[in-house]
Amino acid sequence: MSTAEPSLAAASVDQPAKPRWMLAGLLTGPALYILIMAIVPAFLMVQLSLAHREVGGLWSPGFELTQYRQLATPLFARIMGFSLLLALTGAVICVSLAFPAAYFITRMRRRAQVAWLVFLLGSLSLSEVLIVFAFQVLLSTSGTLAGALAAVGLLAPGGALYPNFPAVLTCLVYLLLPYVILFFYPALSQLDPEVEQAATTMGASRLSTFTRVVLPMMRGQILTGVLLVVIFTFGAYLTPLVLGRPPQWTIAIHINNAAMGAGNLPLAAAYAVAVVVFMVALLVLTRLLSRRREAAA
Amino acid sequence: MFGLELRDLTKAYGDHLAADHVSLSIPHGEFVCFLGPSGCGKTTVLRMIAGLETPTSGAILLNGKDITHQAASGRQFGMVFQSLALFPHLNVGENIAFALRLRGVDAGRRKERVAELLELVRLPGLQTRAISQLSGGQRQRVAIARALAQEPPVFLLDEPFSALDAKLREEMQNELRALQQRLKITTILVTHDQREAMTMADTIVVMGEGKIQQHGPPVSIYKRPANRFVADFIGASNLLPVQILDGQTVTYGATPLRVGATCGVGGAAATLAIRPEDVVITRTAGGGGNEVAGTLSQVRDMGAYVEFRVACEGLDILGVASPRDWIGASLGDHAHVRLPAESCQVLAR
Repeated sequence: MSTAEPSLAAASVDQPAKPRWMLAGLLTGPALYILIMAIVPAFLMVQLSLAHREVGGLWSPGFELTQYRQLATPLFARIMGFSLLLALTGAVICVSLAFPAAYFITRMRRRAQVAWLVFLLGSLSLSEVLIVFAFQVLLSTSGTLAGALAAVGLLAPGGALYPNFPAVLTCLVYLLLPYVILFFYPALSQLDPEVEQAATTMGASRLSTFTRVVLPMMRGQILTGVLLVVIFTFGAYLTPLVLGRPPQWTIAIHINNAAMGAGNLPLAAAYAVAVVVFMVALLVLTRLLSRRREAAA
Repeated sequence: MFGLELRDLTKAYGDHLAADHVSLSIPHGEFVCFLGPSGCGKTTVLRMIAGLETPTSGAILLNGKDITHQAASGRQFGMVFQSLALFPHLNVGENIAFALRLRGVDAGRRKERVAELLELVRLPGLQTRAISQLSGGQRQRVAIARALAQEPPVFLLDEPFSALDAKLREEMQNELRALQQRLKITTILVTHDQREAMTMADTIVVMGEGKIQQHGPPVSIYKRPANRFVADFIGASNLLPVQILDGQTVTYGATPLRVGATCGVGGAAATLAIRPEDVVITRTAGGGGNEVAGTLSQVRDMGAYVEFRVACEGLDILGVASPRDWIGASLGDHAHVRLPAESCQVLAR
């Protein structure tokens, strides 16, 4: 937030300057880790995407755009389009549920807040595999939910609630919700209660205080929350594989299919490079838009 | 009654009474300062008036109408918070127009009103400025303008100047007082700064332990503190343990002292309060009585005045003298202090 800048600047002025060698020493470890674990594999991935595909799942070094030409097809556009649709829908639902939830948790008594945080952190300890297969059971013909809906006539007898798009979306939202609530919690708990009270004394109802003051003040955090969910959902693998049909498969499944099924590693690498480029473009675009909004304000 | 009335207002948090049967009538257009140390309940009372806290018992009446259970959004009292609570995502004009927009005032009228208020707080033309680009004093003025935008029946301020440096604080105090007198708006300010209260208020309400200890015009509070708490909290006071002899006399140690009026019965223990500026120091006994002999234990020449302490009967009596009246004594010198009867007030111990 813009208001935080002066205090941050002031804090940096007040702090005693650390020796440069100490800063360099502290940064060396993380820098090396990023270099080895992120930049090197990314470089190898680009190299592999340009390589020549050999029979039997092999490849030889080269510089050809054969695999990238396959990206310019309606099929790839449909896969990317669906992945983006799933990611954006999931992000909107997740943030719409998580932001008010985090807001209400921060307005609870301290003890209740701690109980909620423990519950949310506890839910993260469940394995994704376990959750996805639990959803499969829940939504299957013999599952509790499908049975209950069939009993009240909302579902044909013997019908199942999966595989389909809502099943994939529901499970992804369930998986991501605790993360997003925990992401919003620190920022919302630091929100000055006097700001909301000021709005109240000026005649704002609780709803208009929330929509006109709290939400706009947290715009930056909300945008970051949306991006986090988009990035995570775009790469979702297990959930769409188990709870979706092939039309609901994300790009991650297609990358795996290209690499492991068709034995075309260069194509899988080209898909991956395209996803990275797309994500970086999305981040840059978001940053530009938010900067333009800040400048306009 | 035309104005604001608090009737037996009480706020309890478990066993703790943050406000304990607070009753007060504030006539329309008066400037009232709630003054007291931290935790005395002054902010709790202010928040109950604003509708931000629900009283445990008691009532709040505005112009005779009971508003105790009316929501803060319905009261629409203008309030300036300690943190100012400006909206960082809105610019100056939008902050000031916030209440007007909520009330559906049309854009043209909003613009006019914002311009008027910015003129009033001496920030003309700053409508489009971001809050982060304002200085501390400018933010203060914007917070005041925002609180006044809806033409509130009561204007509330919760220690609004506590974060400002001394010079700017004094400037803002003068401006606020002038503004209040111009608008004739009922104003309640909460502060722990007695100088602020003394210079701004028509009425000071001294609070301690959740109760109103005394209320009245600043000078009367200073000159005639109702109890030991007020005498100790407002300004500097000598608080001497005495015993009541009769209706006009007390004894401090073995020295009889005449006083304006006593309280309690003969033989009872009491406290004699006298302000340092009323204490007169002499080298020799004047013969007029009401004098205590002692030894000069401290002298501080402050330029404009001399501050001294004389050790008498085991306690230091603090006094101040103008440089012209200073006796020129040194530490350890024998001295007499005279405590004029009309300046001595006897309080319950």
